Amino acid sequence: MIQFDQVTKRYPGGIDALKNLSFTIESGEMAFLAGHSGAGKSTLLKLIAGIERATSGRVMVNGHNLSRLRRSQLPYVRQHIGLVFQDHKILFDRNVFDNTVLPLDIIGFDRREATRRVRAALDKVGLGGKERVMPIRLSGGEQQRLCIARAVVHRPSILLADEPSANLDRAYALDIMELFKSFHQVGVTVVISAHDETLMEDYGRRIIRLREGQFAT
Amino acid sequence: MKHFLFLHLQSARQALHKILRQPFGSLLNLLMLSVALALPLSLYVGINSLQGWLGKLTASPQISLFMETSAEEADIAAVDRTLRGHPRVARYHFVSKAQALADLEKRNALTGLAEGLEGNPLPDAFIVEPRDAEPQALEMLQKELSGLPMVESAQFDADWAKRLYSLLELGRHLTWLLAGVLGVALVLITHNTIRMQILARREEIEVSKLIGATDSFIRRPFLYHAVWQAVLATLIAWGLTEWLVAIAGPAVSQFAQLYNEHVDLHGLRPAELLGVMAVSALLAMLGARLAADHQLRQIESS
Ligand SMILES: Nc1ncnc2c1ncn2[C@@H]1O[C@H](COP(=O)(O)OP(=O)(O)O)[C@@H](O)[C@H]1O
Ligand SMILES: [Mg+2]
Repeated sequence: MIQFDQVTKRYPGGIDALKNLSFTIESGEMAFLAGHSGAGKSTLLKLIAGIERATSGRVMVNGHNLSRLRRSQLPYVRQHIGLVFQDHKILFDRNVFDNTVLPLDIIGFDRREATRRVRAALDKVGLGGKERVMPIRLSGGEQQRLCIARAVVHRPSILLADEPSANLDRAYALDIMELFKSFHQVGVTVVISAHDETLMEDYGRRIIRLREGQFAT
Repeated sequence: MKHFLFLHLQSARQALHKILRQPFGSLLNLLMLSVALALPLSLYVGINSLQGWLGKLTASPQISLFMETSAEEADIAAVDRTLRGHPRVARYHFVSKAQALADLEKRNALTGLAEGLEGNPLPDAFIVEPRDAEPQALEMLQKELSGLPMVESAQFDADWAKRLYSLLELGRHLTWLLAGVLGVALVLITHNTIRMQILARREEIEVSKLIGATDSFIRRPFLYHAVWQAVLATLIAWGLTEWLVAIAGPAVSQFAQLYNEHVDLHGLRPAELLGVMAVSALLAMLGARLAADHQLRQIESS
């Protein structure tokens, strides 16, 4: 469960990226986050992942109060979250397999089980058989799928995706959305941000609309 | 616990692989560390060997106390009394001039020597064994005894050994000083190696942190790299030292034989080697840890 309680995030520059937001996303829910560029979507997702800290208010994730959690405990919260970054954060010095296996290495899976899970994750996103390919050789859509594989390989309970369909053709984008839906169907809490609302409307899920850090009505 | 061990084993193995996989860059670093370690090690080995031999030589130093030839019974008795109660004297015995002459005759098979001489030219003497073999104490005792009335001279039998001993003592201090300086160098070299490595892998570290890596997970491979480097460097340095001993050993022995002495250069004992390895591994770990902590803080704040 993700719970925001009067959360404000002010960046050092003095900009309030989020203003006094309160909402709850239940476990297993699939929710969309909509808003123009600069509305605060990335900031909101970063607060959930503990990458940024709230200036005031309370952020609860899986029962942990992130504002009061010690820094050294943060990694263990993150290990239960899957993140698809807006800027991908693929490591181009290693192949598809080694990119995908990173979360499993961090948690400490043994090689055998890790290999099995990486294969399964890559199959799931449609990159089966490309384990040894270097990411630079992948198309934009395939790179996005690689990010998703890395985000889900450790079977997180929460999956956060920051504009995963940006820069993709509509057909590709719909494929990706279907992929997220399938994770939601096995019980994962999924939060997806996008600035293009047309993609979301087909799904009949909750849409949290942001404008300048506040709910848009 | 088993899992924890497995993770460490895996890290250790991967770190060693990495060192062996990029032989050139690692080799240069390794050689630098090895030579730095070999210096104090060789000095230590050399001084230890010489000191072992000198120790035997000076283990039971003696002071020969020669009386004036004009000394009388009463003078000898007075010296005898002084020696008997002296706190710094362990043992002593008196050798009369007659006994000394007889010894001389017997040792050199010169029977009848005494008849050929105008009386006995040898002095009465005390052979004194000091309680304390330490050079400075010996020197003080020698000075004191030579000042006794009717004592002609007090000779420390291995005066030159004493001088060499203090020279070696100086060498030993130097070795430790050198070891200290190079220990600091080891920390700094490792610090720099690890800093460069972390900078080169900054992106990977950033991403790892974002997806839940703990600081200790990120530090682990670097610490193992540092430890392996130190262990390998110690082994190479040890090899260099052994090689030096093998080359210089026979020459030293031969040279000593000229003086009827027996000197053996011997390398590090296994326990000493292990000790050096442990200390350099610890120092390397310190350097790596400092570098990693610093770099992690920098990444965190960016
Ligand atoms: N690291 C930062 N430092 C200062 N301002 C930031 C930072 N990140 C985002 N902002 C500002 O916060 C606001 C919200 O940004 P963001 O959350 O990235 O919006 P979105 O993802 O919806 O485009 C913007 O005005 C942006 O300029
Ligand atoms: Mg954004």
